[in-house]
Parts: sequence; structure tokens; C-alpha cells
Amino acid sequence: MNNTVNLARRRIVVAAGGAAALGAAALRPAFAQANDFKIGFFIALSGPAALFGPTQRACADLAAERINKAGGILGRPVRLIFTDAGGPPAETAKSAVRLMLEDKVDLFIGSHDSATREANIATIKGRTPYIYSPVYEGGECSPNVFCLGETPPQQAQPAIEFLAKEKNAKTFHLIGDDYVWPRKVNEQVKKFVAASGGKVVGEEYVPFGAPNKFEEAVTRIKGAGPHAVVATLVGADNVNFNRTFAGFGLDKTIARVSLLLEENTLLGIGAENSGNLYSCMGYYANSPSEGAKAFKAAYLAKYGDKAPQLATIGADCYSALNLAKAMFDKAGSADAKKLAAASEGLPFESASGRVTMRGRQVDKDMYLATCKGTQFEVIKTIKGVKSGTACRA
Amino acid sequence: MDPALASLVAPALNALFGIASLAILALGLAVVLGLLGVLNLAHGELVMVGAYCAYAVQSQGLPYLAAVPLALGLCAILGWATERWLVRPLYQRPFDTLVVTWGLSLLLRKSAEAIFGLGYKSLNEPVGGTIVVLGASYPRYRLLVIGVSMLVLAALVAWYRRSRTGTRIQAMVGNPDLARAFGIPVRRYASLTFVVGTCLAGLAGVLIAPLVPVQPFMGLDYILMSFFVLVVGGLGSVAGLVTGATLIGGANSVVSALSDSTGGYLSVLVLAILFLWLRPRGLHAR
Repeated sequence: MNNTVNLARRRIVVAAGGAAALGAAALRPAFAQANDFKIGFFIALSGPAALFGPTQRACADLAAERINKAGGILGRPVRLIFTDAGGPPAETAKSAVRLMLEDKVDLFIGSHDSATREANIATIKGRTPYIYSPVYEGGECSPNVFCLGETPPQQAQPAIEFLAKEKNAKTFHLIGDDYVWPRKVNEQVKKFVAASGGKVVGEEYVPFGAPNKFEEAVTRIKGAGPHAVVATLVGADNVNFNRTFAGFGLDKTIARVSLLLEENTLLGIGAENSGNLYSCMGYYANSPSEGAKAFKAAYLAKYGDKAPQLATIGADCYSALNLAKAMFDKAGSADAKKLAAASEGLPFESASGRVTMRGRQVDKDMYLATCKGTQFEVIKTIKGVKSGTACRA
Repeated sequence: MDPALASLVAPALNALFGIASLAILALGLAVVLGLLGVLNLAHGELVMVGAYCAYAVQSQGLPYLAAVPLALGLCAILGWATERWLVRPLYQRPFDTLVVTWGLSLLLRKSAEAIFGLGYKSLNEPVGGTIVVLGASYPRYRLLVIGVSMLVLAALVAWYRRSRTGTRIQAMVGNPDLARAFGIPVRRYASLTFVVGTCLAGLAGVLIAPLVPVQPFMGLDYILMSFFVLVVGGLGSVAGLVTGATLIGGANSVVSALSDSTGGYLSVLVLAILFLWLRPRGLHAR
């Protein structure tokens, strides 16, 4: 008796589930028009970088809403398909294949690390346009790829010139996570240091994604006694290193510049440990530019006080969508050649104001900031810094 | 003091700190795995719970020591409930306990995310600044961590060896059926052992919190390193734990100091693989 009841119940559940699935399938076109301009949007939904996920999504949604109000892209409503890029690069590349074959996306936008970008580019092979938005090492000229992020000539060069001139730094120690971004950035950092008349006295990398501790590295730096440290560490490693550095009392004597230091990381480092620490970025949540203020006001108006913390990772998603709108509408098609031609000299609205794309990279104003507690204080604005990379159209 | 000798003080203290912090982080896992045969994959998340207790206490402006009873209480409740409802039905089924504690780790991580968000929390060191030791300045709080870790370890050994409860737990571990026949409430002692293990994890979290970014994912780092310690040292004895922590923490620290962190981490992995391969019961098998 009991068994038959259970069986009957199971049948009902199965039937209901099937009906729901059919219903969902039948309803799908009502939400997703074939006409939509579909964007495969890579953000971090899992893993340690998932910290940025809510900001990335909120900024992208804000931009999409505005674009749709202004008639969409190529006259079609924009639909964002958020896809996780928080796992291993090969996994993300697999998602890219699915987005191309099944969803037939018109565009990829990616806000993730450089290792994932390389895997994606090797998979997409220029068949679909790809906008890569965060801070990166520069030099990316693969076909049909457009880069928005700050490059070493924009970030590291002004920071090192500042340390050399204003802080009299002659000797530098470089420490980074062991993957493509820190290593490529440091190749250029060495040139900038040499040009400033200084010398790199130490260079080391820590395994990316391992349970790292920094007592030994900090003791080594203390023994070598450089004037400044250039850190290309990311996320928790960056927090951990800077906390250990200050814990050993080195913050009082050695200046630090971190090349991926944004609001979340600085909160983790904490006010006690952020003395003598500098950052050079194109965007801060409290950037002084009119564009950044307007963007922040719109963001807070949409999401209110509980809005996820604004930071450069996240704001880049807003800029990327605005570039997509400007570029596709000017080209009038999704053809790679037409897009590249349209992008040259194209002005568009970024999170920190109006910028111009040249050589499929972005020239921009840079802000050198010092850390006051857990806030950035911009001490120098450098106008219109060139990316140093010029890809052929 | 000879300057050449003085330059060795800081690296030596680093190695000592590496070993002591690893021993205290692995202690709770060692107790539960060594005495009950349960590999508690939520161990790292209990360390995280302890760390968030410390954050909660400090952000309310309370004295740091108030975090200790809070973390012990919370981890005791979590430990008791886990043992009672998740682990007890699954003793002698190692794979099933693995899955159930893994599920618990996900639940704890997501709960922390729901309450505190994904962002990094930073805690001030309750005892800040540096102090000169034998000619080298070293952070006070790290020295405190070394001292407290050794004390906790010594206290646990004394309790386990000398107290009546400790003796009964030894009887339970040695032969549960015989212990039961002698009227020892085996179930209650198994529960107590599990709670001691989770409380030690919480305590380690309070101790380590001011030195690291406190975030929901932090436990993953600790479960891995703790497991390596037990692989090398072997299960069920304090000597094993200390040897394991010394070899893993010491190798990591010394190789990191001589070459770089990649070398340090590589040496840890090589050690763990060699032991799993050539001496799977570790150095001090019970």
C-alpha cells in the first residue's frame, strides 16, 4: 500500500517536472528573442576571485540597461549571458565553445586573469569579437580582440618614476604571483627601473593558488634592504604579503607599490598595514574625474546603499559594454575588419569618463594614489597616458 | 653578538613560527582523525569559524581574548551536532564520513559568505609591533603565536596522558568493545573527542586571524597543509604531529628562505608524495 502511494507520488512528481520543463522550453522564446544581441560575459562566479563577481554583474547590468534604453546594439536588445571564469582557464575555454556553438553569441566580454584570456583566445580564434577589460600586461594583438585595461607603460612607468623622483628610490625588489601577468609586467618594470637610473636587486615569484606565506620573503627583503618593492601579487596573496610586510615593521622604511590594488584588497590589508603603500590605476571608487562621479551616482541610484563595493574590477565591465555599443554601431556590422577599423580613434564612455581607443588598446588618464587607512587618496593625475601597444587595425 | 649569527635569528624564528602555527592548525584534525578515524574535511572551515569569531569580537570593540570563549562555544556546538547527527551513523565508513564532512565544509563556507560577504576582513594584531630578539627584530604577535601553540600542545598531551578522561579515551581508542564492557560510555567519549577536535580548530582560527586575510575560502589552505602534516607524521600520537609539522613546516620555511616560495611549496609536495608512496603510515604509526 505504502509502496504504491509512493510510486504514484513519484509519477506525479515526474510528470509535474516534465511539464515544467516543457513549459519552460515553450516559454523560452518569450524571454529570449532570436533577434537579441547576445554577449557571453566572463566574470568570476566561483573561486577566490568570486569576491568581484557581484560588482562585475551589477556594473554590467547597469550598462546593459542604459544601452537597451538607447536602442540596443545594432538596433537589437542586448542580452548578457554571465559565465563563470573563476575556475581553471581550460574550463572557461570550454564554456566559450558552448557559448559559440549553442548560444551563438555575437560578442565575448571578459573580466578575468590573463591566463584565462590566453586560453580563451586560443579557443575563440578570432571567430567572435572579444573585449578584454581588466588591468593587464599589454601587447595583446590577436585578431578581433580589443583590450581596455591599464598596461605597464600606463601603470608601472608613472609609479616607478614617482618612486625614483619623489622617494629617491634607487633599488627595487619585485615580488609577484607566478603566472603570465606578473612575469610579463616585470619584464617591462625592469626597463622602467633602468631608465630611472635605478636597479632591480631582487625578483621572486610565489606559486599562484598555493597556500602561500610570506615570512621568508619579507625577511629576505629586509636583509637586502631595497628602497622600494613592486608587487604584482593578486587577491589574498596581495593582502597576506602586505600584512606580513607591515607586521615585520618594514612599512616604515620601504615604499611599496602594488599594481593590482583596489578597494577590496585594501580593506583586507587594513589601515594598520597600509602605510607607505602606493597604487596607480585608471579608476578608483573615489576618482576625482567627472565621468567617474557620474558613473558612481548612477550605480548608487540603481543599487542603493547595499550596492557591492565599486572597484576597478567591475567598473571595467561597464566600460567594456559601452565600447561594444560605440564600436558595433559605428561599424554597422559584426565583421572583424569593419570592427577593427571602427575602433581606431573611437571615443567612448568609460567608468572614469571619456576615453579613446587606439591600436585596439585604450589611452587614458592615470591616477597615482597613496593609501590613507583603507581609502585611496589621489596624489597625482597623469593625463592621456598611452598604452604602449599599437595593434594594426 | 656575531652579525653572521644574528642574521640567522630571523630565519630560525620564521621556521619555528612555520612549525608552531602548522602544529596548532593541524592539531584538531589530528585528534579527530587519529583517535576516531574520521577525516574531517570541514576542519579548515572550523578554523575559519574561529577566525570570524575573532573578527566579530574585534569589530564590536571587545577585548581580543573574548574571541576565545566565543569560538570555543560555537565550535563545540557545531562539533557536537556534527558528531551526533552526521558522523555517528557513519563510523567505520571512512568514505561516507569524507563526503558528509565535505558537505559540511560547503555549508559552513556558504554560511560565512551569507553572513559576512566574500570580502577580506582585516583584524588588528592584539599585540602589535616588533621586539628585538638576539639582535633581530621580530613581530611580537608571531612570537606569541609560537608560545601559545606550544602551551596548547603541551596542555593537551598532559590532559590526554594524565587525566581520567584521557585514560578512558585511550581505552576507547584501543578497544571500544572492551571499553564498553568495562562500563565506559564509549559514545559519550567519542562525542567529547570530536568536540575537542573542533574546539582546537576554532582556537587555531582565533590565533591565526590577525595574520591572514579572513575570508570564507581561507579554510581550504589549512586543510591541505594539515593533511600533509599527518601524512608525514602518522596518526594517533603527538610525537607524530610534531614530527610532521617540523618536517613540513620546516622544509617549507628553510627552502623558501634559501630559494623561493615555489621551491618551498615544491618541497612540501615532494615530501608528502614520498611519504604516501614509501611510508604511507607515516613516521609514527600507532
